[in-house]
Amino acid sequence: MHDIQYYLLKKRAFSGFISRLAKVQPLAAPVRRGEKNYAFELVTSANEISLPYIPTILPPKKYFFPQREVLLEFDTRRGLHAGPVGVAGPMTIFGVHTCDLAGIQCLNMVFSVRPRDHNYLIRKRKITIIGLECNDYCDEHANCALVNASLPSGGYDLFFTDLGDYFIVHVNTQAGDDIIDAVKQFQPAKEANLQDLAALRERKRVVFRNEVALDQRFLPALFDISFDGPVWKDLDERCLACGNCTQVCPTCYCFDIRDELNLDMATGVRYRVWDSCQTEPFAKVAGGENFRKSRLARQRHRYYRKFSYPFAKFFRFFCTGCGRCSRACMAGIKLKETLTSLISQGGEGPWKR
Amino acid sequence: MKRPKTAFFDFACCEGCQLQVANMGDTLLEVMGLIDLVEFREVMSEKWDGDLDIAVIEGSITDLHATERIKAIRKRSKVLIAYGSCATIGGVNGMKNSFDLDEVGDCVYGEGRWFFPTEQTRAIHQVVPVEYAVNGCPVYIPEFLSVLTAALQGIPYAVPDYAVCIECRMNENECLYDRGITCLGPVTRAGCNSWCVNNGNLCYGCRGMVSSPYVKGMKQVLEKHHVPIDFVVNKMDMYNKCRELDRNGR
Repeated sequence: MHDIQYYLLKKRAFSGFISRLAKVQPLAAPVRRGEKNYAFELVTSANEISLPYIPTILPPKKYFFPQREVLLEFDTRRGLHAGPVGVAGPMTIFGVHTCDLAGIQCLNMVFSVRPRDHNYLIRKRKITIIGLECNDYCDEHANCALVNASLPSGGYDLFFTDLGDYFIVHVNTQAGDDIIDAVKQFQPAKEANLQDLAALRERKRVVFRNEVALDQRFLPALFDISFDGPVWKDLDERCLACGNCTQVCPTCYCFDIRDELNLDMATGVRYRVWDSCQTEPFAKVAGGENFRKSRLARQRHRYYRKFSYPFAKFFRFFCTGCGRCSRACMAGIKLKETLTSLISQGGEGPWKR
Repeated sequence: MKRPKTAFFDFACCEGCQLQVANMGDTLLEVMGLIDLVEFREVMSEKWDGDLDIAVIEGSITDLHATERIKAIRKRSKVLIAYGSCATIGGVNGMKNSFDLDEVGDCVYGEGRWFFPTEQTRAIHQVVPVEYAVNGCPVYIPEFLSVLTAALQGIPYAVPDYAVCIECRMNENECLYDRGITCLGPVTRAGCNSWCVNNGNLCYGCRGMVSSPYVKGMKQVLEKHHVPIDFVVNKMDMYNKCRELDRNGR
């Protein structure tokens, strides 16, 4: 790697940068979807890209862990022969916000636990990530400061920060360095540019303040005493169990595995497809027993899967503060409100601030 | 493997779901290689009155004649597949159940209505036992093929018991409620791959409701979006009126 860690990309060179980058390998970036939403899609030019953007409907998780992914092909005529399926080629994702970088970091941990998920890890190895800093909040649903995801902390190859008429670009990996060399639109950052960046970060520390009145260190302790709290009853009254919250979450990784037989009645595929703990049949087992029959138990499970269980296992919250669950909820269940209720119902404790 | 004797029958319906089979394209040739098609009024003239391995039933049961006929078909069929909304949930024919039967008869047949005695609309499973269901108006052909391969293997096919929203989000559609459009996806069974929303339409609930739809919660959502409840009940009843017959206990 070069010694230089920071480069500049002038805004007027941005269009050329995107066009060249898209020629290196397929490039995904945020584009407009519908009237109020955005989605990561493959692009070839800068004018397709929509900046700034609020979190996309689905996080970039879909490129690492696709909604539906064939795991193997089988042929029963060859003595139950089964073989792996080739996984997609290399690609670049441009414009990944810090919340979504955090989401990918969470998934990296989950899928690296043995037995390792090779499909995920192969895709991950082939994806180059270019992050993009949020200078301000996207909207009122975000809670990235609560989970320390409002500032970059790794998980990218290059990281872009908009500083007016130019981007300052942090190089984090060899793959990032390779882009700098291949695209040839960058120039080394000067001391004044780094001061601009430092000034932005200082301003951000004022803008991005913990969105919930609690000390995040004590969140797991708060959850420890809240399992039977009244807040879950309130969610039960409202939740439709539509599953939107889990489908759009950057750290939900549950999937179902199904076999599909072709019409030759001999060959077929085994595939996995995203599943959701919010659906009625998710925790149903043979014999008809359902371990989480009530919406109360299912919503509670979702929150514990973000703030309690992964903290015990990985020492990290699996909420990235992106706000997608609150944005997507039909019933208006808001994560920040749920946490606020937990605090007020939790009584006196170190979590109170 | 001996190809199973298969027949398509229609009751009260538009036959559009059978048309989906006829329109299947190349895949139809593969399907024909799997089954021995002995009766299918829409595409062939031959009839079959013997035993059947698979009977595919389109349409709902709306009069005494249909009741007798479906019972007779059931008796000579090993496997019965309810096919399309009319068959699986009563579908649009169920709207008749919102009215007085005499009134309905008068409206359609006038003075001659005594020649056409009518009954409450029922889905097929409300009259005879059914092994498989292919929901939809019309059916979603990939799902029909999944059900058919399941039937040929003699294994169950589970219709997803969760909302269309699950598939709609996976397809990364913008939620129609974000655009101020009322959609029945949140209470309708998935399995169609959110076919309508993917193509710029909205969900009409043609696949029937999830097994335990949260009615109170849905009302709250509609209130939040200022949608009158009667409007939605009418929308639900367009396909799901026969659901009342399930609730009242068969």
